[in-house]
Amino acid sequence: MFGLFVLIVKVALVMNLALMLASLCTWLERKGSALIQDRVGANRAGAFIESDKWFLKPFLPAVRMMGWLGVINTLVCDSLKGIAKEDFIPEGTSKFLHAVAPIIAVLPIMLAFGVLPFAPDFTIFGHHIQAQVARIDAGLLFVLAMGSVAVYGVAIAGWTGNNKFSLLGSLRAAAQMISYELPMGLVFVALIIVFGSLDIYTIVQKQGELLWGVVPQWGIVMQPVGFVILLLAGMAETKRGPFDLPEAESELAAGYFTEYSGMKFLLFWLGEFAEIALFAALLALLFFGGWHIPWVTLPEGVWWAALLGHFVLMAKIVFFCVLQIVIRWTLPRFRYDHLMNLGWKMLLPLSLLNLIGTAVLKVAL
Amino acid sequence: MTFMGFVLAVCAVASGIGVIGFRNPLYSAFSLVANLMTMAGLYALLDAHFLAVSQVVVYAGAIMVLVLFVLMLLNLKVEGGAKLGLMRAGLALTAGVLILVTGLKPIMEHFSSVPAITLRENATKTVGDVASIGEQLFGRYVVQFELSSLVLLIGIVGAVMLAKRKHVQLAPRSVFGEAE
Repeated sequence: MFGLFVLIVKVALVMNLALMLASLCTWLERKGSALIQDRVGANRAGAFIESDKWFLKPFLPAVRMMGWLGVINTLVCDSLKGIAKEDFIPEGTSKFLHAVAPIIAVLPIMLAFGVLPFAPDFTIFGHHIQAQVARIDAGLLFVLAMGSVAVYGVAIAGWTGNNKFSLLGSLRAAAQMISYELPMGLVFVALIIVFGSLDIYTIVQKQGELLWGVVPQWGIVMQPVGFVILLLAGMAETKRGPFDLPEAESELAAGYFTEYSGMKFLLFWLGEFAEIALFAALLALLFFGGWHIPWVTLPEGVWWAALLGHFVLMAKIVFFCVLQIVIRWTLPRFRYDHLMNLGWKMLLPLSLLNLIGTAVLKVAL
Repeated sequence: MTFMGFVLAVCAVASGIGVIGFRNPLYSAFSLVANLMTMAGLYALLDAHFLAVSQVVVYAGAIMVLVLFVLMLLNLKVEGGAKLGLMRAGLALTAGVLILVTGLKPIMEHFSSVPAITLRENATKTVGDVASIGEQLFGRYVVQFELSSLVLLIGIVGAVMLAKRKHVQLAPRSVFGEAE
């Protein structure tokens, strides 16, 4: 019974964390893009709020600050607008698939968060607790599997749109996601060879050790080429940054979600931002030591060390979220053949070479 | 656990019927995806996590996406009602029943000799984790494993050859054929 209670709490916490990270990314996208493009950005809703009620007075300065920073605009007003809008369904298409597509786009991403550890194991009140919903043996593969299932949401969405733009967008998305999954998988294989495990928790724990007693054994030290490949492939997988061909607004209206409106439209965005957060978490966990601080060894199994580790990990995740958004608003969009060339002629051979090199080094050393 | 198993089994059978039942090829493909997913769920219930995950990665994540891609690219229309003749329907039924019986027979024999409980315990011990699958695959069955990769390679080369040959033959004919 207690185990079930802990599990429910963990699921709620991880879902909350995923959604919080996604909304943080939403806000970063709105305000960050304004900063990069030298605009002001959202700064009105709630910025001038007044009230005479005595119990609201102490909160007003904080609310005004949030309004001025655009938090209320992006997180409250946009969602309210999404809920209030008409839910448009194009004619001559399957209503069921049209409704299911956004869910399929979001659900696998949320599921993938379930196998990520967010802090080291700890013991509290005599109970041993894993800060992870499910520690399965093939955790890394599970994330990859969920990433590839998310393609269906995009593919179905484009098809049910029943117009050329959305179909082209979803075909592009499917081709792009399949192409970039290969180098991604090969980088994971190289990582598995280095750390000798598919379990993400074990991989993170191994990164706490020192290489030759000097450098922390982080993924970036062990697999520098792998990190570059994964960063590029991951940004293409999230259909973001210079790789947002499936939703290229200058060519395809809005790509695969052209025919979506209201909350369904926002669900696609939620999925995309959750994917950014998931990818940032993967980079932090696999390549930047997870909850480890370089050259600092925290005591094992103590709750405050776990909490500190959690905050360190979250700082790293937020850093990678910001990095992705900065890249997205800095680089211009690829041309489609360039995108395919990069995937198949550069990243795939490079990741194969990286894999062979890693295997040779592993056997030789 | 058993309850979930039944739910998944019902879903698997329903989606399996959907694969052959739908007129629209796209819906059949979606049903096949659902079928593969429910099978993965069944594997996961038997603690074969690696098998479940690789089923999703390989079949649902890669192969079916390609199938879907092609179906959407060709934009196939809903098939008209092609009626099966009595003769052909009878033949299909006989073949189906034969395949079902030959497939079910070894399974039934296995289950009648070994109680289901011990089967499941054995499964958790030997099949579950990645390491034991790797040991089996690269130790005991290494020759078969390498041979299967060779078969796949032959398949790829064959597909490329077929595509190339057709292309070489068709290109000049289509140009001159239209000119005349």
